[in-house]
Amino acid sequence: MTVSGRVPPVLRRALAPDDPHCYRHCDRPLRARALTARTPGLLLVYACPGGAVSVVTYSEWRNRDPTPTLLAYARTHTLPPRLVRRWDLRTATRHGPELGRGAEAYMGKARPPRPLRAVYWRVYPTRTKDGSVRRLFACARHGRGNVRFFLAPGDAQSPRCPACATGGKKRAR
Amino acid sequence: MNSAAPERLTIVLAPWCPHCVPLSVRHGRRLARLLKVPLRTLDIDRPAQERAADRLVARYGDAAPDYLIPQVFLEWSDGRVEHLLTGFSEQVARTDRAWKDLFRSRWLKGVLAGRKR
Repeated sequence: MTVSGRVPPVLRRALAPDDPHCYRHCDRPLRARALTARTPGLLLVYACPGGAVSVVTYSEWRNRDPTPTLLAYARTHTLPPRLVRRWDLRTATRHGPELGRGAEAYMGKARPPRPLRAVYWRVYPTRTKDGSVRRLFACARHGRGNVRFFLAPGDAQSPRCPACATGGKKRAR
Repeated sequence: MNSAAPERLTIVLAPWCPHCVPLSVRHGRRLARLLKVPLRTLDIDRPAQERAADRLVARYGDAAPDYLIPQVFLEWSDGRVEHLLTGFSEQVARTDRAWKDLFRSRWLKGVLAGRKR
């Protein structure tokens, strides 16, 4: 067991929610898409089939605040980057006993002992001056590690991101 | 062997949060009963309680400018404060599962066995 921050499969399964659904957009099941990034931990975006983002999470199995890592990733992949505000990121420490018997036993063997540290990026829908609602969407047309986050009308389904709309190249990295 | 005993369970919460009320209050009451300790709730919408909650979270919990709730802490007779659980932002049902896993945990069995000694 290393202390690189990597989250092994047994702990990934323990962290996963049961059957999450899209809230205040379409009520369809959320899919957790693992993003490829140059980070040691587990980066997931929970979005519905229409692209509406519920939450983005980043978890590491080491006793270090993962917030700067997710903050940097989100700012690099959000159009415009100023949509990513520090107070929209919230941390959580996950201990073995709350993750089920398998994870508790697995984490109990780890040396040095350490919890999982997670950070959540959630952008709540906002109402603009004209009364319309805008919410966060993810565009996956640029490759698995290159998701783009952007705001679009709250009831949109699979809207095009600003890069797509301006004819940006859809090349996977 | 550590002779410390649990002294108080605290939940930092807000009444409008579905992860907190009624879910975590219900589980918290049950856990406090098992541990034979009082349950304290700190409502972040009440200024005096919010100050106590902020201190607890900053020192022992998951602090952030707008931190997650609920956060659950167990205070021990030797002065230790143990962070037990923070709500799962993904889903209320996931927070419920975390509480249920906590009740089934080896950790709790050990704490209860320690109480009987």
